[in-house]
Amino acid sequence: MTDEEASGEGEEPVHEGVWVFVEEHAGDVAGVSWELLAKGRELADETDEDLVALVIGEGVADVADEAVERGADRALLADDPVFEPYRAGPYGDQFRALVEERRPSIVLIGGTTTGRDFAGRVAVPAEAGLTADCTELDVDDDGLLLARRPTFGGDAMATIKCPDHRPQMATVRAGVFDAADRDPDRDGDVETVDVVVEEGDALSRVLEREVGDVADITDADVVVAGGGGVEGDFVAVEALAAALGGEVAASRKAVDEGWIEPARQVGQTGKTVRPDLYVAAGISGAVQHVEGMNDAETVVAVNTDPNAPIFEHADYGIVGDLHEVLPELTERLRGAPPEPTA
Amino acid sequence: MTDDWTIVVPVKQVPDADDVTIDPETGTLNRSDAPAVLNAPDYNAVEAALSLRERAGGEVVAVTMGPPFARAVLETAVALGADDAVLLTDRAFGGSDTWPTSLALAAAADELEADVVVCGEESTDSSTGQVPPGIAAHNGWAQLTYAEELEPRPDADELVAVRNVEGGHERVAAETPVVVAFEYGANEPRAAGLHRKIYAETEFEPEQWSAEDLGITDDVGLANSPTQVGGMDTADRAEREQTVVEDVDALADRIAEVTADD
Repeated sequence: MTDEEASGEGEEPVHEGVWVFVEEHAGDVAGVSWELLAKGRELADETDEDLVALVIGEGVADVADEAVERGADRALLADDPVFEPYRAGPYGDQFRALVEERRPSIVLIGGTTTGRDFAGRVAVPAEAGLTADCTELDVDDDGLLLARRPTFGGDAMATIKCPDHRPQMATVRAGVFDAADRDPDRDGDVETVDVVVEEGDALSRVLEREVGDVADITDADVVVAGGGGVEGDFVAVEALAAALGGEVAASRKAVDEGWIEPARQVGQTGKTVRPDLYVAAGISGAVQHVEGMNDAETVVAVNTDPNAPIFEHADYGIVGDLHEVLPELTERLRGAPPEPTA
Repeated sequence: MTDDWTIVVPVKQVPDADDVTIDPETGTLNRSDAPAVLNAPDYNAVEAALSLRERAGGEVVAVTMGPPFARAVLETAVALGADDAVLLTDRAFGGSDTWPTSLALAAAADELEADVVVCGEESTDSSTGQVPPGIAAHNGWAQLTYAEELEPRPDADELVAVRNVEGGHERVAAETPVVVAFEYGANEPRAAGLHRKIYAETEFEPEQWSAEDLGITDDVGLANSPTQVGGMDTADRAEREQTVVEDVDALADRIAEVTADD
């Protein structure tokens, strides 16, 4: 039976279910996927629909099981060598085929380089609405997705709706929601789906791939971030982070200068962090950066410029050179090790 | 010279970010008063395209979609070294979100018989990054997003890119035609030459294409945009103590307090 026959002539087909894409590379699942599963669970409960995890990769049956344990009612598993390593074409084609066949109402994808790369390859041919880089998600009384995203360098928040097209798709910033916990007793189905992609159809091939451990700054309780003021030397930042048991992060400036890897960038084009303590060292405090650390419990700023905007976004500030202040601070804090946090 | 590449660079005019204000009454952005400038990441895209032309041969054509005054950013692209430029302008395009915008640019790239389309990573005013994959998807072409380096292989009808991905890099070879989204800041854009600048501002006239010329009148504009802006408000600002402490000891005490909580 074709889709048209199933839905009746002239009637809009019903779109139902909340889908979450589970992103996996060489066995590692991107943290944002489990965050979206938690948020997707909330949305699905609100609209009284199923939460479906979509798992694409090679040898990823265990990832599908884990998606069920973390809250999915069902996991769809597309398992084939054509999906490893990631390429936009095969992922986009497979995802699109499933979206068109199963007609979900809402589709959430992590706003990673991967998610942002292939989401359009699904949304365009499916004529779906796609909202980029959301930081808040909700549904209204009619079950319409309200996707909120920062715009204009973070000065404003826009609410994007997709009234007439389905599915309603969104890429979502990493770190804005808590990850779903794992419950081994949770029930759910894993369904292996037909793979519709063939290697011969691929428009690209990966020649080399060098990916180290993907730093996850979004889960850290303490984040020590360096900006232009580190002037290429992250040693003092790293030492303080180590003393506090935290992660090292950076502003876009430090990343663009090549001083540190992009995975550690906080801000509009990077990640959102929500630590108990955020130390901004040598960071001026542009809105694009502040947007990524606004949810920190306590913010400490170290900057040579007493007029740097970062002091307006900090709880405690000190005017001084981070290369002097941080080592001193590290020494003091090492002398009296903090209590382990819960 | 039939193997020479046609390299299309879609560019965008954006309000100069420094001049955009938020209306305190309505919470909406006042963009209209701000002067329109070339989207900053597009400078990197133009540079990447010119560099490809130097190595692969061919021509660089800038394209923008917008009102007639958007031609200013095409002049900028021509001043920087683009050989030609096309303005997609039509009332029918008004209110387009990324779906019809990428359709119009895809149709133009197809019409120009592009081998390579080089876009900036994203625009500074809406920063969705959705248009480059959208162009590729509309045309069924390959795509290389977050590209930091490009290596043309015109004899093999391939473009190789070093892509910046989470936690590292990858080298990917894609068949042409291919759409590139070039990473913001990943190259050093050249300055416009004086002669080229004068040419762009005086003699140069971009071609103008309407939605009808591209055969997409019924597929663009607000009515064909799946997403709608349902409201705009100023971002919440977190309340902060804003206390400046005098010495490191005081700061260490505060940090010890914070990390000892729970």
